[in-house]
Amino acid sequence: MSITLEELAFRLNDHITDEGTSFDALLLDNGVLEVVCSNNDEFPIHLALTETQLLAVTPLFSVNEVMPNEVDNLNKVLLQLAPAVPLSAFGLQDDTYILFGAMALATSFETIVHELEVQAENTIDVLDAIQSLLA
Amino acid sequence: MSILKDIFTAIRGGASEAGEAIVDANAIRILEQEIREAENAIAKAKQSLTRLKGSEIKLKREINSLNTDYDDYEAKAIEALNAGQESLAEEVAERLEEIANERDEKTAEHKTLEGEVNAINKLVRSREKIIQKNKRDLEKVKTIKEVQKATTSISDNVAATSSSQHRVSKALDRVKAKQQNWRDNMEAGEWMETQEQGDDLDARLKQSGIGGSAGSKKSAILEKLKAKQKTG
Repeated sequence: MSITLEELAFRLNDHITDEGTSFDALLLDNGVLEVVCSNNDEFPIHLALTETQLLAVTPLFSVNEVMPNEVDNLNKVLLQLAPAVPLSAFGLQDDTYILFGAMALATSFETIVHELEVQAENTIDVLDAIQSLLA
Repeated sequence: MSILKDIFTAIRGGASEAGEAIVDANAIRILEQEIREAENAIAKAKQSLTRLKGSEIKLKREINSLNTDYDDYEAKAIEALNAGQESLAEEVAERLEEIANERDEKTAEHKTLEGEVNAINKLVRSREKIIQKNKRDLEKVKTIKEVQKATTSISDNVAATSSSQHRVSKALDRVKAKQQNWRDNMEAGEWMETQEQGDDLDARLKQSGIGGSAGSKKSAILEKLKAKQKTG
């Protein structure tokens, strides 16, 4: 059984985790589900579906927000940090750095919620770690 | 050819920066066409397979029946020999030769058929492989497309903070402040709880006359004063 974004939005808006995280889910016009987690309300997670996966993308910052001489350094550091956050990966979409994770469509609601909570937390940790390289 | 290589080429060529479809629509059409062709080939193969399987079962049955005949006539030939009827036994031997020839023919035919069935099964497996590989490739293309969509779409309620200087640092500071605030509230809550529990305990101790109360101290001092007054 696979979940739809509408259903996911409905259930997320009505859910509080054991750690006290609540969600604000909004389905955008282009079919992307924007989820703001209460443990990190500055960097929303964007959810999209493919035939087999639920994709969770957190846009972090754009290349021009990195200190001009530190881009290569940042890329290297991100690769080095990647194994420490195995469930979310770093990526570069056009010139936006993103944190993203993918789940199978059959993933249970409880697991999805947990992954979102962890991704929101990882976002803060990652940004905190590399903050000195940002302009 | 792998789709990742196509994606690599497209990125190197700067295709994604212009927001164009990262993989040539033609490449996607080719993948989809290959899937359709492979699916058709499998459907046809399965039809032939059904037909071949029918012939194979029929042949197998015929071979079995010839084997039974052979054993039957062989026993009869021995019986004839035992009875001293040499010429009858010779006729039976001729019959046995015919049966053996027919059986060998059918067995050879059966072997050929088996080979054909194996070849068709192999073809089905190779087409299945194409379908799976192409579907995975299409999934990669779709993933890139969706990630692109998910990255660029930002709703009005978060767009307000974008593109200001030190945007990330400021946002990070706000999040951290909120988290600290939340932790402080938690600690305050815990502190209140212990305070309330403590007050309750003191009250209960006092009620049971345990622990020095202000009243009893006063009377003790008064006793001492009275004692001094007497001696003084």
